[in-house]
Amino acid sequence: MSPVGKPDCMVIGAGPAGLGAALAAREAGLKDVMLIERDVELGGILPQCIHDGFGSIVFDEVLTGPQYAQRYIDQVQAADIDVKLNTMVLEMAPDRRITAVNSREGIIEFEPRSIVLAMGCRERTRHQIMLPGFRPAGIICAGAAQRDINIDGIMPGRRVVILGSGDIGLIMARRFTLEGAEVEGVYEIMKHPGGLSRNVVQCLHDYDIPLHLSHTVTFIHGRRRVEAVTVAQVGEDLKPIKETERLVPCDSLVLSVGLIPENELSLQAGVELDPVTAGPVVDESMHTSVDGIFACGNVVSVFDLVDWVTRTAEAAGRGAAEYVLGKKKIRAPIRVKPGRNVRFVVPQLVRNLGREIDLYFRVEHPERAVRARVLAGGEQVYSRKARMVRPPEMIHAQISAVNAAGKVKEIKLEVVSHEE
Amino acid sequence: MPQQLSPLPSSADMVIVGAGVIGCSIAREAARYTSDVVILEKESDVADGTSKANNAEVHSGIGEDAGTLKQKLNVRGNQLYDEFVQGLGVEVKRHGMLIVVTQRTIPADPDGNLTEVEREEILTQKIPEGIVAYGENAGIKGLRVLTRDEVFRMEPNVTRDAVAGVYDQTYGLISPYKLTIALAEHAVINGARVFLDTEVTGFRLEDGRIRAVVTNHGEIETSIVVNAAGVFADEVADMAGAGGFVIHPRKGATLLFDRQVTAEYVRSSVAEFRLPGQRTTQSKGGGAMPTDEGNLQLGPTAIETGDKYDTSISAEEIEEIFERFHYLLPDFPRDAIISAFSGIRAPTLEEDFVIGASDDVHGFVNVAGIQSPGLASAPAIAEMVIGILHELGIPDVPRPDFDPVRPKPYRFSELSNDERDRLIREDPRWGHVICRCETVTEMEVVNAIHAIIPAVNMDAVKRRTRTGMGRCQGGFCHNRVAAILARELGIPITAVTKDGEGSPIFLAAAKDFLRGEEA
Repeated sequence: MSPVGKPDCMVIGAGPAGLGAALAAREAGLKDVMLIERDVELGGILPQCIHDGFGSIVFDEVLTGPQYAQRYIDQVQAADIDVKLNTMVLEMAPDRRITAVNSREGIIEFEPRSIVLAMGCRERTRHQIMLPGFRPAGIICAGAAQRDINIDGIMPGRRVVILGSGDIGLIMARRFTLEGAEVEGVYEIMKHPGGLSRNVVQCLHDYDIPLHLSHTVTFIHGRRRVEAVTVAQVGEDLKPIKETERLVPCDSLVLSVGLIPENELSLQAGVELDPVTAGPVVDESMHTSVDGIFACGNVVSVFDLVDWVTRTAEAAGRGAAEYVLGKKKIRAPIRVKPGRNVRFVVPQLVRNLGREIDLYFRVEHPERAVRARVLAGGEQVYSRKARMVRPPEMIHAQISAVNAAGKVKEIKLEVVSHEE
Repeated sequence: MPQQLSPLPSSADMVIVGAGVIGCSIAREAARYTSDVVILEKESDVADGTSKANNAEVHSGIGEDAGTLKQKLNVRGNQLYDEFVQGLGVEVKRHGMLIVVTQRTIPADPDGNLTEVEREEILTQKIPEGIVAYGENAGIKGLRVLTRDEVFRMEPNVTRDAVAGVYDQTYGLISPYKLTIALAEHAVINGARVFLDTEVTGFRLEDGRIRAVVTNHGEIETSIVVNAAGVFADEVADMAGAGGFVIHPRKGATLLFDRQVTAEYVRSSVAEFRLPGQRTTQSKGGGAMPTDEGNLQLGPTAIETGDKYDTSISAEEIEEIFERFHYLLPDFPRDAIISAFSGIRAPTLEEDFVIGASDDVHGFVNVAGIQSPGLASAPAIAEMVIGILHELGIPDVPRPDFDPVRPKPYRFSELSNDERDRLIREDPRWGHVICRCETVTEMEVVNAIHAIIPAVNMDAVKRRTRTGMGRCQGGFCHNRVAAILARELGIPITAVTKDGEGSPIFLAAAKDFLRGEEA
């Protein structure tokens, strides 16, 4: 085996999070930054996202996924960052020792001075939502179907039923239609669509694809290939109503039923996870509970906009650089408490209120005419009105530097009615 | 040429119908005496029926009724197992089983017919001691009564309602499909031939004797047929006029969990002791047990189904399993579920094994009614059948040229880093990880496709390498595995199937639908 490499920073995963973090770490002064990617190319999931809607915040432009990725890929390639493609991290220890493998070098070992976790997320599968029925060919997650069609150029279905109205499901309803497949409908168990409103309009309404809210699939038929699914309306308790069951012939069931941060490596290293986000507990520098290990993007919490992924990646890259260069003063953390109608907040911890901090949160339920506000030690440090807030939309709140930051013991983020 | 594509031989010493664990066990044992064994399988892989979808249990025999053939062969099979798998590259892991006696085994008696002291004595002494005595009487060794504290020390996650237990140390687990594949390959190494996608459609008899097996791919002359057709054994026997039993399919559903979450949750297999009247189904009641790979499983259910192909799983079954085990394992992390599957048991109306030469058709041997503990009994069933085959004329002198070893395929995930490094230098495909969840490399997939029993579809590759068996369930690797199958088999990617004919993964190339074309 080759000698142990000791980069200043190792970034695991070269999607938008990893690309952004590697660049930020480099720009913040780290010389030896290594970017490890298990796939054949840089960009993560972006190369398969050929629709537009990326970059409106970061670039103030509307780009496709590949365009957005390419802007970072170009910079990474110009920035003297050591990129290893087709390379898979096998083990990560709490002391940051890493074992990886690729075909060219075999087993390779590293002792990086800092690590940024940027492994992204995976799709929730049919069994994780305990969907009954047979196990034939033709059951596929929306992102996997997207890869089949957009990267590999093969069609996993012709008569398609989509379960779940997450963004990828909506995008794929349109994509299947454009490829000449027939999308019978999109079924969503909740009363509200799971994806962004613009995607409901642009991907379903514009193509006359029906969206069946408060509906789910109750059984998958077909022993060898999907032949049909049974769908039913659900009651207030989200349980299917037997009398409303209806058989829908199809050859595929496409699932868009949620994303799960990929934290198997994080767990190996003993990183503390937040049970709500299923990602690492981080501070405003995206530092996890393990010394020198940072995390960003969808591995921390599933974001709906790539722009926010990039922002967290930049924070993580800068954080890793400060850590390695010894610039970071470690202060005791203050927990950011999710208050009224707040499901979670990322970062969960804040150490230094003396500078601007980005918070990201989701609400628990849709609500009209609200104000989101952040209280630091009782003092309001952020307040913004919103006509409507919905759980599918991650909300960003930038709080400004707080005077007398050292005295603050508690930070709370809450969503209250307009008038309060 | 892959074996299943070569023409059937015109004759064989013996023909086995069904390449499940029973058919392949018999084939491997028979190959010790004759090289002229043919196995016919109607599916596209060995172990493609009940042998791929059960709980991997090598029971001790404690759960079977005294005096049954099932119990006799179970106890014997368990004892033979380590020797049986020697040289196969698979192993039985004797995790042991913990049978937990709980408060609800005998509920507190408010009418006072039973004092608390008496109840306690029954629960903590009479029942566990009775279980041990029952097992010892059947020849099971290593049974031991556990106190409540010992139960918790062994399995900290079981219900606080536990009052005592019995530890059954000879109980083990073995991957039923890996075992079946290994047995089939070992038989083939020793001259046997396996024909997949080959369905028996009838038999030719002469003077009450078997003369030939008729299949969808032609006839094979033979004087001996072993019917190991699982849930279809009654139909196969009836084709020869050698039947007289009925298989009523009984479905068993199991839930499977992420091993990273559940690996340490139970160390042995854990089951709750229920009195006969408390069992809701015709089965031993199942349990919580690790697979041989460390994923926890909960199940199985036991539901009579009229359909021998009904491997579906219903919402009610899923709920029933969680409810059943919620009592035994109150804090079980149900969100860690990654998969669920159903298998079909093949019981007869008598609920016992039917093993023996037919009285009506000379040369026809039924090995039917095999349900749990069929996997545990496989070595003893094979031993018993070999005795019958000797009577029918298979030589009883072991072949001097019998090769005792079936080489075990390398598994990247099981190797040390030094071994991995060495293999990658020999062939870089060892360094190309295809399945990220289970760390499976390209070389393992290629090796499976070109193995002695070739894996020619996605499920067959999965059973040999674990591609797609992890938490993403193939989301990230299905297209890579399909591409390797297409490349190695020289077929278009639209011809790659999940599990044989009629189960294509992809339906067309992009744009084909727009051009009005389909695969």
